[in-house]
Amino acid sequence: MKTAIYGIGNILLGDDGVGPAVVRYLSSNYTLPPDTTLEDLGTPSLDLPAYLAGYDRVIFIDAVALDAPPGTVRVFSRDEITSVPTGIRVSPHEPTINDALIVLDFAGTAPRDVVLVGVVPETLEGGMRLSARVAGAVEGAGEVVRSEVARRTCGNRINRPTTDL
Amino acid sequence: MSKRITIDPITRIEGHLRIDVEVDQGKVQKAWASSTMFRGIERILLGRDPREAWLFTQRFCGVCTTVHALASVRAVEDALDLEIPLNAQYIRNLILIAHALHDHVVHFYQLSALDWVDVTQVLKADPKKASSIAESLSDWTDNSEKQMAAVKQRVAGLVGSGQLGPFAHGYWGHPAMKLPPEINLIAVSHYLQALEYQRYSNQVVAMLGGKTPHIQNVAVGGVANAINLGSEAALNVDRLFQMKSLLEKIVSFVQNVYVPDVCAIAGLYPDWFSYGAGVTNYLSVPDLPLDGKSTQFELPGGFIPNGDLAKLVPITGQKDETWRRAVTEDSAHAWYKGGGPLHPWKGETDPEPTEWDEEKKYSWVKAPRYNGQPAQVGPLANVLVGYAQGNPLMKKWTDAALDKISAIAHVKATPAMLHSTLGRHGARAIRAAVLSELALKQWQLLTDNILKGDTTIYNKPEFPKGTIEGVGFHEAPRGVLSHWVVVEDGTIKNYQAVVPTTWNASPRDTSGTLGPYESSLLQNPVADPEHPLEVLRTIHSFDPCMACAVHTFDPSGRNIAKVKVL
Repeated sequence: MKTAIYGIGNILLGDDGVGPAVVRYLSSNYTLPPDTTLEDLGTPSLDLPAYLAGYDRVIFIDAVALDAPPGTVRVFSRDEITSVPTGIRVSPHEPTINDALIVLDFAGTAPRDVVLVGVVPETLEGGMRLSARVAGAVEGAGEVVRSEVARRTCGNRINRPTTDL
Repeated sequence: MSKRITIDPITRIEGHLRIDVEVDQGKVQKAWASSTMFRGIERILLGRDPREAWLFTQRFCGVCTTVHALASVRAVEDALDLEIPLNAQYIRNLILIAHALHDHVVHFYQLSALDWVDVTQVLKADPKKASSIAESLSDWTDNSEKQMAAVKQRVAGLVGSGQLGPFAHGYWGHPAMKLPPEINLIAVSHYLQALEYQRYSNQVVAMLGGKTPHIQNVAVGGVANAINLGSEAALNVDRLFQMKSLLEKIVSFVQNVYVPDVCAIAGLYPDWFSYGAGVTNYLSVPDLPLDGKSTQFELPGGFIPNGDLAKLVPITGQKDETWRRAVTEDSAHAWYKGGGPLHPWKGETDPEPTEWDEEKKYSWVKAPRYNGQPAQVGPLANVLVGYAQGNPLMKKWTDAALDKISAIAHVKATPAMLHSTLGRHGARAIRAAVLSELALKQWQLLTDNILKGDTTIYNKPEFPKGTIEGVGFHEAPRGVLSHWVVVEDGTIKNYQAVVPTTWNASPRDTSGTLGPYESSLLQNPVADPEHPLEVLRTIHSFDPCMACAVHTFDPSGRNIAKVKVL
């Protein structure tokens, strides 16, 4: 089983860079289990399908435009992602994640197990700093990603030393 | 009575482009292209070390990361008059070619083909007939009846589920859709195969760039790819040959699938060679440098005024004085302070938003001009500029494509027909074919140079006291990209990126002259104002990428094309 953990977002646009920031948090605090890829994909748009094929499960981290306070972390299921835009209003990459999954579903090569760890941004204005509230949510979002990974590997990773994702 | 149609946004990728047209008697009479997002990301670079600018610029756009990295280091090297080693040129060239081939194929199959291909018609296709048509078009081996039948079944499953999945955005059953069912089936079959070939290009970029997206191997002064034929950790014989086999797969797909598909579809919509010419001043810059000083190039550049190939003025390189002086940006109709044309080294980015006002200011995109005139950029400009100068590969593949189109359309296709909506698609395929040949040539140049014993990859930059100016250009997949940098005492004082879509999506300028999108829409047919497929066809033929021209996002995440008819 191959797993990919992908941060999505533009690091030049304020809190849009939260996905890449969570990837940096994870890579500097943990080592990866085997068969696991951790990558800051930026804003891959149409390139995204190329990074999904061949993986059984994918965990995305992205800014999500929800009606909730900045820094709120919420996990979205695959069904919730692919039902965008009905219901969830998400950042502009979000339909791209959705589109990529739909394209690969049609091609028959989509990862089956997909979740999105979303963080509500405060500002998407140009700039390379996260707002204080979103910066404060990076660790929590990273830990949510860790527990999603652990849950998918029958929990056997969760009690490992803290250097293990 | 005339109808006003607003399409907002128009691209299927990160669209922040708004198009307004006035339609009367079934034709577009007036058009405006505007961007609804503020552009000003270059300001992040002010005060930084020019050696690290490329790391930031490759985040300008998620689709074209590498092109902004390369244009940036070229700009700083130009300011320093810094020569780079041959290995560095070849490695950069290979990255640029792999990226371009990927980009052109993705654009056609994932974005534009849906403007011409009616997926629902696939259900009426005869797989046996589709297979024999496809086999008559090229030697590609993955066109069997069995494969066509499997794709047809896959589409039937999708239609049966009531969801059109990736094709949900298309205008199915529109009267402007005219392909026979079998051609629709061939196109969908190749759409699926393209997804696989898209990965091979990424693998080449990753082999040289360290990773993708966001390559890590570029440096002002060269590249950071250690070359050591005996080392596992460096660029060695194994990796070179792995790369060659990936390149060969991509080359084969481009020449045997992408080019024939574009020619077949173009040949079946011959009337679209008479719409969409727009601005016929063409600008293209020379690229794929062959020497360390970047004075010799594999592909030539130049400016063609009024579509007259005989009047081409060549651009010899980044040091070309005409080129260095000719580019300006005008804010008369853009939401910035000031108005008058400014050279990019003097460029300003002070926002001043107002209401959308077609008479005054209506876009976040500035109006770039070449010697005061609008210019169309992109593969069509690249092909025409090469063709006009007798570039052998451009001539070979242009003539081959025109012959193929002529055979299908039963009319003689000529280079003059390329000034059109379909001409832009044809030129993109022609350019891809040319680049596919050059991929293998650049690979050979790199391999030969390494085998000769040259392993140098980097010349160290030294920054002088005082002010220096540089420009780095690149003939990117969407056309001329230029980064303009002013460095003072070793730090960035000004930085402006004039990106391809800015040229094409340009609003009117001080004199009221229309930009290429705007001008190309005039006299376009529109059969059904509620479903303006024809407007999309012409705009998509430019391969718009507003995420690149404009860099902020709409926090509400609205990304569904809205059509408003008044």
